[in-house]
Amino acid sequence: MSASLHERLRDAIGAENVKTLPEDLAVYSFDAYSEGRLPSAVVIPSEAREVSAIVKIAREFGEPIIARGAGTGLCGGAVSIDGGGVVISFARMHRLLELDVPNRRARVQPGLVNLQLSQQVASAKLFYAPDPASQRSSTIGGNIATNAGGPHCLSYGTTVNHVLSLEIVDERGDVFTTDVDDAGYDLTATLVGSEGTLGIVTSAWVRLLRLPEATRVWLAAFPDIDRASETVSAIIGAGIVPTALEMMDSVIVRAVEAAFHAGYPTDAAAVLLIENAGFEDEMDACEAAIERIAREHGALSWRAARTQAERDALWAGRKGAVGALGRIAPNYYTQDVTVPRSVLPKALHAVEKASRDNDLLVGNVFHAGDGNLHPLLAYNKRDRRQVAAVLETGNAILQAAIDLGGTISGEHGVGYEKRDAMTSVYTTEDLAAMARVRDVFDPQHALNPEKIFPAGTRCIELGTR
Amino acid sequence: MIACVEAPATVEALCDVLARCDADGTPVTIVGGGTLYGMGFPPSGDGLTLQTTGLKRVVQYNAADLTIAVQCGVTIKTLVARLKKARQFVPFDAPKSGRATVGGTLASGWLGPRRHRYGRPRDLIVGSTIALADGTLARAGGMVVKNVAGYDMSRLYVGSFGTLGVLVQANLKTLPLPAAARAFLAPLPERTRTRAFAQLQGLAIEPSVALWIDGFEKEISGEPGPEGRLFILLETSEPLLERATRDLRSALGRAGVPDTEIVDARAFSLFDAAVDAYVSVVSERSITYRISSLRERVESCALGARDLVRRFALDAAVIADIMNGDVIVRASRGDTRDLSLKFQVLDDNLHQTETRARIIAGDHPVRAALRVWGNDPPALERMRALKTRFDPNGTLNPGRFVSGL
Repeated sequence: MSASLHERLRDAIGAENVKTLPEDLAVYSFDAYSEGRLPSAVVIPSEAREVSAIVKIAREFGEPIIARGAGTGLCGGAVSIDGGGVVISFARMHRLLELDVPNRRARVQPGLVNLQLSQQVASAKLFYAPDPASQRSSTIGGNIATNAGGPHCLSYGTTVNHVLSLEIVDERGDVFTTDVDDAGYDLTATLVGSEGTLGIVTSAWVRLLRLPEATRVWLAAFPDIDRASETVSAIIGAGIVPTALEMMDSVIVRAVEAAFHAGYPTDAAAVLLIENAGFEDEMDACEAAIERIAREHGALSWRAARTQAERDALWAGRKGAVGALGRIAPNYYTQDVTVPRSVLPKALHAVEKASRDNDLLVGNVFHAGDGNLHPLLAYNKRDRRQVAAVLETGNAILQAAIDLGGTISGEHGVGYEKRDAMTSVYTTEDLAAMARVRDVFDPQHALNPEKIFPAGTRCIELGTR
Repeated sequence: MIACVEAPATVEALCDVLARCDADGTPVTIVGGGTLYGMGFPPSGDGLTLQTTGLKRVVQYNAADLTIAVQCGVTIKTLVARLKKARQFVPFDAPKSGRATVGGTLASGWLGPRRHRYGRPRDLIVGSTIALADGTLARAGGMVVKNVAGYDMSRLYVGSFGTLGVLVQANLKTLPLPAAARAFLAPLPERTRTRAFAQLQGLAIEPSVALWIDGFEKEISGEPGPEGRLFILLETSEPLLERATRDLRSALGRAGVPDTEIVDARAFSLFDAAVDAYVSVVSERSITYRISSLRERVESCALGARDLVRRFALDAAVIADIMNGDVIVRASRGDTRDLSLKFQVLDDNLHQTETRARIIAGDHPVRAALRVWGNDPPALERMRALKTRFDPNGTLNPGRFVSGL
């Protein structure tokens, strides 16, 4: 059976584009969070027609289909959970197809790397706003699947705000399109963030923004986490929404300094990295207002980066923060929760307590302006006590976020990792409404099964008719 | 069946109404403030009318978090007034805001002129509660601004015209009110139009609103000008306003626009009047279309639509939204002879050149025979499947939305 699946796939898209050896499949069996199982095959199509053929063949053989971008996901969203299935890699569908400068939009293939899109349109003085930390490797297709965010979505919005139109291959292998200006239901918005469970994106029109005329980045250091969090709330409360408002605690700051020498003050308990983009005329006033708020809340120091080089240095520390933690511990686990911004101090205390209770080192580097926390739990995966402690701490943080009126994922997705936590934020009725959508687009659960919905549930059990 | 109106004051009572109608197959026509009655096919008049205006509670306002949760019957005016006290706003830009409700504005998928700057209403919804056809409640999202836990159901409900359920609560992201605003009116002679559009689209400090208004003399005060006029609204920080003003004036000067008048005192009353004009009607003798075009095409689209209306001996009033690429065109006629036929021929012709034209206002009886929602969307089959899944007995707003949804 397996051999003929492979044969059919090879016939459809060429032998060189079908991987079947265990050592090749293994590369596609994990993401940045977890290890799944080996799929039956990995295919690397070059166009939508091939994606369509692959889906039809996989369905004939009863194999599920798992769409995969760069595999940088953090929730086990792009791997085979039960073993088997056909993983579609978009490594060959990585082109910018059309750039429409007057209307500020671009048509792209799903395998295009996020940062490359911005680089390729920079000569037209445009950029693509969503900028997840993984942007050097993660793809637009993967970003669409998870509705990816990033530091700058504080003012620009997440991926869904920037997708205009989609070309989709459905679970039967048929191609359809959606557009935000189509009559009827907004399927574009529904498909964005559906983690590959409703269809497979084969191209997208995305919105581009004009590069800002002026950008400033500031760094404020604080003697404790509370004062930094209160500064965040005060900035937002004063009606200032900067383009980015990021926080790092002392664990992260020290790791970053050791790795990059970004110029962060290592004696601070927390630093805020603040960016505002706009026009030169308003920058001094904006800077004065934010600096005043920071100082009123006890900032130890304040630095302004005006040149591109200075800005890049400050951002390099933030963007490399997760990697820098690798110097402290062999492994780390990234949690992703969002809370209302005004309860940030409480949320951070809960994180600290959960990790202390479980005797783990935790570092915090996150999108403070959005209330989107990313506690990084350092551990050694060979130490079974620590592995158990990480799970325990991760769950405690989820629960704390829920108790504070927050949610279980701000931007990484639910995937396999958090599907069982869905019942702690949603009722059976809430989940049943989502299951109805799944039922319409993918009644057999052939697309990325075992993701988002709690384990073992079928739509029937969620009470849909 | 006896037509009747129910206006529940609680969510539970609303759910009871829906459950009853679902059980006995009674069609439910859902009405908010009734301000967008001209959108969609007319209700059949059978069954029950469900008025949402009784649900008018602000559930939770966390000004420091820039979020607010409101029930669907809260009017836009009430919402705006409440937010203004904390120097915040929600740029829904809905017409007749004193009566328009949050639920109706969202359910209708209303799109206003400031969306290029602040996002579509659907991008401001962070959570929702929907009463489904059988009266059960389902929530989605929450009160946080970033949330990817499960499907984005709230955005699916926005623009679904009440055919998947009744949006009883919307949790919204609010925005800080811009510190400075300034409005301009200018006559726009035909010879300057193309250049003026290009200049406005090229401005570094983009206006929040830039409309070319040709007609609508009764609806929008001031000198209409023989070839239409420009209405521009700048919203900036305080320190930027002077430069924004200078840049705008010199851009329009380069285009040859003769004189630009600052109308700060009337900035928002003019803006509201312009948005109201989108859905203004000429008694029962007008039909208004919204055409979704591209920025680059907005002028040719507006002129094409205007010429087409005039070709059938109808009067045309046009608003071109220069920043978004929308065109609003109202066709009317004082003389009612052959008016139905004229509207039908216009409708046929318009849809041949514009794939995304839909009717947003006008209560001429022929409306029911026109392509109210424009061409069917490519994914109609899936939308129908969704409708069947969410409303198997077809009781929610039957016959009003796109091709049987």
